[in-house]
Amino acid sequence: MSVRLLALTMAFAAFAGATGAQEVDRTLPSQLSPLTRATLERLIDSARVAGLPVDPLYSKVREGVFRSAQEPRVVAAVQRLTQDLGDARSALGDSAGAEEIAAGANVLRAGLHPTDLTRLRESRGRRADRPLTVALVVLADLATRGVPRAMAAASVNELVARNVSDGSLLSFRQNVERDLVGGRSPASALDARTRAMLDDERRRP
Amino acid sequence: MSEPDGPRWLDEIAGELRREVPVRPVWRARLLEEVARAAKPSARDDVDDALGDRDARARYADRRRWSITVGPIVSLAAATLLVALGAGATYMVMSRVGGNASQRPAQTAASAASPQVVSSAPSSTERKVVRFELSAPRASHVALVGSFNEWNPVSTPLSRDPASGMWVVSVRLPPGRHVYAFVVDGDVTADPSAPRAADDDFGSANSVVFVSSPRT
Repeated sequence: MSVRLLALTMAFAAFAGATGAQEVDRTLPSQLSPLTRATLERLIDSARVAGLPVDPLYSKVREGVFRSAQEPRVVAAVQRLTQDLGDARSALGDSAGAEEIAAGANVLRAGLHPTDLTRLRESRGRRADRPLTVALVVLADLATRGVPRAMAAASVNELVARNVSDGSLLSFRQNVERDLVGGRSPASALDARTRAMLDDERRRP
Repeated sequence: MSEPDGPRWLDEIAGELRREVPVRPVWRARLLEEVARAAKPSARDDVDDALGDRDARARYADRRRWSITVGPIVSLAAATLLVALGAGATYMVMSRVGGNASQRPAQTAASAASPQVVSSAPSSTERKVVRFELSAPRASHVALVGSFNEWNPVSTPLSRDPASGMWVVSVRLPPGRHVYAFVVDGDVTADPSAPRAADDDFGSANSVVFVSSPRT
């Protein structure tokens, strides 16, 4: 094989590696030490056996490696997320999907209590098949932006109880964010936008 | 010559190896001729040395030029090894870039809208095209990282839209909740227009995009 052909082979292999399709990768990055990999594999296997979604855990590991985090910090983040996923699943019920559980874990991480998740689940009333993922994403966002948690939970519960659509929930979040950027206080912005949204729902035929 | 303290069987083997092997005189004479011919410089070399000719040195260098013949399997293995080394080096460099993110100020501004689902894909995978935008007028390079691309800072670069000046990229995503961030000239920053994720385990917050399923 000539050197030119060898170079072409290498170039093609490098190109293919750089542009290859990215799918959900359920492997641990090779940059981690064997000890850390073994620890993480045990954690993730335990989560899998418990019926928790494991894709968020793999993603957390990869994020940590991407951000050059120390390995103990990566392990701690995965441990914490596993705990939050378990708590969220308990609060949301066994029928909750993987996306709901992941979003619920994020709500807990934002400082809300598992009972807030349970209340949100109950606020669906008879529409028990309605996924709560968007409502949970909005709730976590509001709490992260400094909206008082109890107020945020009450508002989102009310909107879900009135069967506000996912699209309207996302618009609601965006309006609150706009008010915050404009200098309005979080409590005031939330209150005003919640009332406006409920008024819109009442006017809707 | 045997070791005085060596075992007897070793002496016998050594004696056997030292015993001269009988070779036909014709073969011996031919071998000596070949050796003598190989050791003696050619007449042309003698002339070249005498004249100090540069061409002669070049010819000599040509004769000394070595070559390596590599089989296809060895070549493939070498290529794979080099690619792996290159990919590892690239990843390390990009990881360091990400790690320094918090040390530099972000040059971003809120864009007009959250990531938008542009169109649905009627394929069995139900992926949808999601358009990500970021206003970063002074940035020279922007990339998208997230749960959908294994947090790979190389795989999803944004390009500057000449009309609007916004950095944009469209990605096909499956339904669900996806966590992501932008890498702006090495700074990891959340999307200012999207819902925030609270999981800032590694220094800065991420963003969330939700792709709805056609069934919901």
